[in-house]
Amino acid sequence: MTSSVATKSQSPVQAMSYALAYAIAVCFVVGAYATGNLDNFVSMTGLSSVLESWALKDYTELLAFVLIVLLGSTVALLGGQTSIIMAVGTVGSFFALTLNQHPLIQYLSLAAVLFAIGLYGMVVSRNAVRVLMAIELMLNAVNINLVAFARYVDPVQVKGQLFAIFVITVAAAEAAVGLAIVLSIYRNTSTVDMERFNLLKW
Amino acid sequence: MEQFEMLKALAETNVESFMFYILATISILLAYGVILDRTIIRSGFILIGVFGSICGLFLLLQAQFLALAQLMIYAVGITLVIVIALMLTNPRMEKSQLSTAAPANQLGAFMVAVGLFMTIYLSVRPENWTLSSEPLDMNNVQVLGRALTTDYSLPFEFASVLLLAALIGAVMLAKAEKPPKPGEEDFEYSVVEDSAAEPVASKR
Repeated sequence: MTSSVATKSQSPVQAMSYALAYAIAVCFVVGAYATGNLDNFVSMTGLSSVLESWALKDYTELLAFVLIVLLGSTVALLGGQTSIIMAVGTVGSFFALTLNQHPLIQYLSLAAVLFAIGLYGMVVSRNAVRVLMAIELMLNAVNINLVAFARYVDPVQVKGQLFAIFVITVAAAEAAVGLAIVLSIYRNTSTVDMERFNLLKW
Repeated sequence: MEQFEMLKALAETNVESFMFYILATISILLAYGVILDRTIIRSGFILIGVFGSICGLFLLLQAQFLALAQLMIYAVGITLVIVIALMLTNPRMEKSQLSTAAPANQLGAFMVAVGLFMTIYLSVRPENWTLSSEPLDMNNVQVLGRALTTDYSLPFEFASVLLLAALIGAVMLAKAEKPPKPGEEDFEYSVVEDSAAEPVASKR
């Protein structure tokens, strides 16, 4: 809330430079995690005992994630450009969370990121067609999951790819019917604004 | 300098994971472009980029058939339908004059999205997957085709029935209605501005 107010009162150049500074900071955090400096820092400051007490001993990457999120919210409150901060923070935390993992977990995490972006877009956007685009994004994320399972868990029978084929089929049907519904609503109400689709309101 | 060497070694260890990170970054950034771009027609075209990078990911996962199906169905078919729908619902292609959602809603949606991601990540992260180290069959398209015509023939047929039903339903829904005869009165349901308003009966 505060971020949007602050963005309006500041010049776009300033907001942009805040976002750039945030990008550099995120690069530093990810670099520190990738080269193992963050681990050294954790063991030096005695934070490892805290992590251990929460049964999160090998989860140093969560610390990098929390750091990135805290930095991001601080910069957004200071008045950086929110969309760039969100994108940079997502990419940075995706790197920090998956760099030292098995490829399967990398693919599953990417699918989770895309699914979360699709969910966010579905809730936030007010154009009905954009909501449908976000749903397509979420279905694609699920497909990445299935194909990754076919590659790393079940490479002989590739059942994951089979189910991905069915998901694609259903997605095509959904897109056709959904867009037809949007068109017919547009013809009746002359708007595609989600907030004004209140025909069922009583 | 030492750290730079380490980063370089990390990048060189595996071409596959290097490509994965490039494609993943592209797809995440373009996905943000789809949901945050102010011009909706542009986000419709950015969607092609997202589907293209996901096609690249499928190629990395050695799913050649699915990669090409992704390209044909999503990047061409569905995006085309979406762009046509945009042209029909937003004829002058103006910047979307719709205001964005309320900041409180945006914050709540962001919280829910981050929470969802963290839940999935923490449940996926423990390494007790029963992984198979076997390489993928070279001609897995053959395996797919055989499975679709034997074990999975019933869902395959149902998928075709579903597509037919969706096709007919979409045509019926999107078909332009006949204009009413002049002088004939009929009801037109307009957008209800407030909850107290009644459906407006108007003469066409």
